[in-house]
Amino acid sequence: MDIFHHLSSDITAILITLKLAVITCFFLALIGTPLAYFLAFKSKKTKPFIETIVTLPLVLPPTVIGFYLIIFFSPETALGKIFIILTGEQLIFSFYGLVLASIIYSLPFWVQPLQASFEKIGRDTIWTSHSLGAGLLDTFFNVIIPLSKKGFFTSFIISFAHTLGEFGIVLMVGGGIHGKTKVIAISIYDHVEQLSFGEAHILAGGMLILSFIILLSLFYFNKRTVVRVK
Amino acid sequence: MSNLSVFLKGNIGSLFLNFEHTFKNDGITILYGPNGSGKTTIISALGGFIKNIESRIIFNGNEFKDLDKYPPYKRPFGIMFQNPILFEHLNVEENFDFVIKRQKSNSQNKKLISKNYLINHLELTSLLKRSPENLSGGEKLRVVLARTILKQPNYLLLDEPMSDLDIKYKAKLLIFLKDFNKKFKIPILYITHSIEEISQIGDQIVLIKDGKKIDSGSVTNVFNRSSFVDLIGKFEISSVLEGRVMSYDQILRITTLDLDGQKLIVPGLPGNLKDIVRVRIRSRDILLSSTRLETKITENELQGIISSIEIEDNSAFSELVIKLQNLKNNKKIQKLRSRITTYNLKKMKLLINDSVFIYISSVSIDRQAYQLT
Repeated sequence: MDIFHHLSSDITAILITLKLAVITCFFLALIGTPLAYFLAFKSKKTKPFIETIVTLPLVLPPTVIGFYLIIFFSPETALGKIFIILTGEQLIFSFYGLVLASIIYSLPFWVQPLQASFEKIGRDTIWTSHSLGAGLLDTFFNVIIPLSKKGFFTSFIISFAHTLGEFGIVLMVGGGIHGKTKVIAISIYDHVEQLSFGEAHILAGGMLILSFIILLSLFYFNKRTVVRVK
Repeated sequence: MSNLSVFLKGNIGSLFLNFEHTFKNDGITILYGPNGSGKTTIISALGGFIKNIESRIIFNGNEFKDLDKYPPYKRPFGIMFQNPILFEHLNVEENFDFVIKRQKSNSQNKKLISKNYLINHLELTSLLKRSPENLSGGEKLRVVLARTILKQPNYLLLDEPMSDLDIKYKAKLLIFLKDFNKKFKIPILYITHSIEEISQIGDQIVLIKDGKKIDSGSVTNVFNRSSFVDLIGKFEISSVLEGRVMSYDQILRITTLDLDGQKLIVPGLPGNLKDIVRVRIRSRDILLSSTRLETKITENELQGIISSIEIEDNSAFSELVIKLQNLKNNKKIQKLRSRITTYNLKKMKLLINDSVFIYISSVSIDRQAYQLT
């Protein structure tokens, strides 16, 4: 009975984790892609400043980000109030609070590979496209995106894997509520705390294998493209 | 169709550009100057890629002042950048389709240049399905040139297009450009560092140094001016002469030109009877004599009068300008520059207004003499 209960709870956590990673990547594509484009081609004076902000989550302890997000998401702030009006729910400890936190936390993982990939395309290619009659959006969708396939793939894989593995921020902002904000990483923590090593093994091993496969596919794909280019 | 009038002023990096010129709306205009003098910047500015400078570009009754109203993708220029780029995610034919799909229908009164014309003349048939990464430098260049022309531009801007090409291909491509220019009446602005290329295809030339225009005019005239000599350095000094084809020998493969009544034998068959052909002769390849020599050592003997002598300081050499005799009295004066040692000048006691005999070996005449009409 107990094992059965654990199993269904773990499956719920797995589904929440995957849902979180997919939704986060979707929003990262929408927000991170233009940001990477801006950093690669447009900004000059503001670039170091924006790059610093985007990169901060890489170096800050998750608890620092988590702490500020808790304050920022609280029902007293404008964002918290708007969220309550829209959904009737508090942003803090909600799934969408988790999504928002994940976007911030994973932003550098989306922006950096893509920015590097955009920068590799270079100004000459873009000027060529314009001189052949293609406008800004036309160039973006028909030249830059197709030429950055590898960058998009890398950004997606790394952001996805990274979102799967979040712990600190997710625990602080989400609270680890079963069926709502409890993700795999928190489940494993709970199992270990309760000394249920068997269940911990299943989840931890699963994460290990999944992450291994994801990264392997990334390096395999990137290696293959390099060989093809040569 | 009106000329292309350009005024550009402002700092770009360490360069202060202050350039003003009205480019002719026919023929091929060469933009020549040392590295970093602003040539590439001028082409980029025409394309609308340079911000934050004062610019006034007037072409076909439009003033491209406002970058918002005339952004790069709305300008009627075909630009080939110094580092030519093909879209790597598309094969050669798809690269062509990229520009064909975006063609503006603003060229009603012009002959449309067909894809087939370019494929035939630039020998692209076997390349169409190839991916850009599998093209050689020369192949890539031809494809980029074809794609640039497929835009059906009203003015073609080429930034050192041949710098990476071997000589054999270069000659072919230069002939293509000249023919293309004449056939479709699309003017070309052409940046190059090669004196050979200038003498072969240039009609007009604009000299630029440190962001400023220092001289301009027809290639034949400017070649004889000190402004040009200062730029290219003494060693490369040469003259460009024009002559009409009098006869040619198919077997020996030589052509005899009529230089205003005098004869000049050049190697190769650069044109048909009565065509006007241009040849370039290096100043250091000319032998002078104050008396006629009974010699068959060179094919050519011309006569002229020394119009100026310049003895160079701290150098072994002297520069002479010789007006070629015009036996036709058509008032055309062709000048030949000669570079000899000051030692020889003194030995021969040559003075201004002396008449001299000029001996030129046909081997030293630029082999790719070029047909003009």
